[in-house]
Amino acid sequence: MTPDALNRLVAQLAKLPGIGEKTAQRLAFHLLRAPPELARGLAQSLTEVVDRVRLCSRCFSLTEGEAGAPCGFCTDTRRDDRVLCVVEGIADELALERTREFRGRYHVLHGALSPLEGIGPDQLRIRELLVRLQGQAFEEVIVATNPDVEGEATALYLTRLLKPMGLKVTRLAQGLPMGGDLEYADQATLARALSARRDL
Amino acid sequence: MERFVEEGLVLSAVEYGEADKIVTFLTKGRGRLSAFAAGARKSKRRFAGALEPGTHLKAQLVERRGDTYRLDKVDVVQSFFHVRDDLALLARSLYCLELVRELTRDAEPHPELFEALRAYLVLLDAKKAGPTSLLAFELQALSMAGFRPRFFPCASCGQDIGDAPRFDPDAGGVLCQGCALRVAASVPVAAGVAKSLAALQAGLRTPLESDVRARARELLNLFIAHHLGRRLKSVDFMVQVGVD
Ligand SMILES: [Zn+2]
Ligand SMILES: [Zn+2]
Repeated sequence: MTPDALNRLVAQLAKLPGIGEKTAQRLAFHLLRAPPELARGLAQSLTEVVDRVRLCSRCFSLTEGEAGAPCGFCTDTRRDDRVLCVVEGIADELALERTREFRGRYHVLHGALSPLEGIGPDQLRIRELLVRLQGQAFEEVIVATNPDVEGEATALYLTRLLKPMGLKVTRLAQGLPMGGDLEYADQATLARALSARRDL
Repeated sequence: MERFVEEGLVLSAVEYGEADKIVTFLTKGRGRLSAFAAGARKSKRRFAGALEPGTHLKAQLVERRGDTYRLDKVDVVQSFFHVRDDLALLARSLYCLELVRELTRDAEPHPELFEALRAYLVLLDAKKAGPTSLLAFELQALSMAGFRPRFFPCASCGQDIGDAPRFDPDAGGVLCQGCALRVAASVPVAAGVAKSLAALQAGLRTPLESDVRARARELLNLFIAHHLGRRLKSVDFMVQVGVD
């Protein structure tokens, strides 16, 4: 008979995305056989992450600072206070940050409008965005939501709210991947790129 | 393993596991059909962008055991990009897709509904479909799926609905005052609204005033929720973002 503690660990691991019963068992046995520091370190990181990491009170990105204090993106004085980039999630923010092209501020919505899944404006950080824009003098808002139906719906909704506030609202361009081959581009991307062509 | 090509409209696509999607189509020949699209979230080449709701495509499918299908390849017929230029058009298109998804059943062919939905998406894409057109499409879709509401004359006795008609989805639509007394629950409806809906159903395409549209929307929501057993999610979305 397997010890209860081991069964509990397998059951917990199996709750993680992409991990089935088999994988959970393999991970559990690995933790059991490895030096105890591995399991203890993992347990400590897990506790720390839930205890310390929280959402920034201003941009809703992740932060580890004092409760109520803004995150590093919000407090960095070298960043541009005139441009705000709105993203669906933290992963998108990090992807944009990796480009080193954007030096403005961020706002994380934590999702996108999804009519078919019943996700409306109230379930996203849109009200907080409006409050923030009223209190701070941004000139441009870049809507960097995904180029899918949900991202487009979110962008259109935000545009409708933000344009009357006298803000310049821009959207990330959509089209062909850099270094890509026209011949191999998928139909949807190529058709979209064609309709969004620009003057030379 | 049967391999075949079907023309279809994407009704919805939900993420499945880490890399895959389950796509639900309304096909031209086989009615509603859900297929497993392996790698749809990761592989850019095979499906990129083509599995977005509303896309008209030719799908290469493989029938697997137990009534499940695998999506092998897609060929886009029309993407309806322009619907995405306007929140009202986008909301209307998603509402129609949800309605059709809920009104149909797997393996029950509805070639006329496929054509009606395709034609409505074409109209939205051409930016020629206002709020009244949505009501017209709904009435058309309901009829084709076998749930035709009756607005005029009385759904029960066939006489004039009079000046104090009531609406009861269980009784099939609008009832005259006398017939309404014999049903348990009904809501009042203005005779003008009932007649406007009857005219839309008969094919008249005069745009309705916004207050008539709002009353008509309430009746259709009631009717649809009664027959489907739940309210459509995208109808709440339309209210939240303020479009009809
Ligand atoms: Zn912040
Ligand atoms: Zn009657």
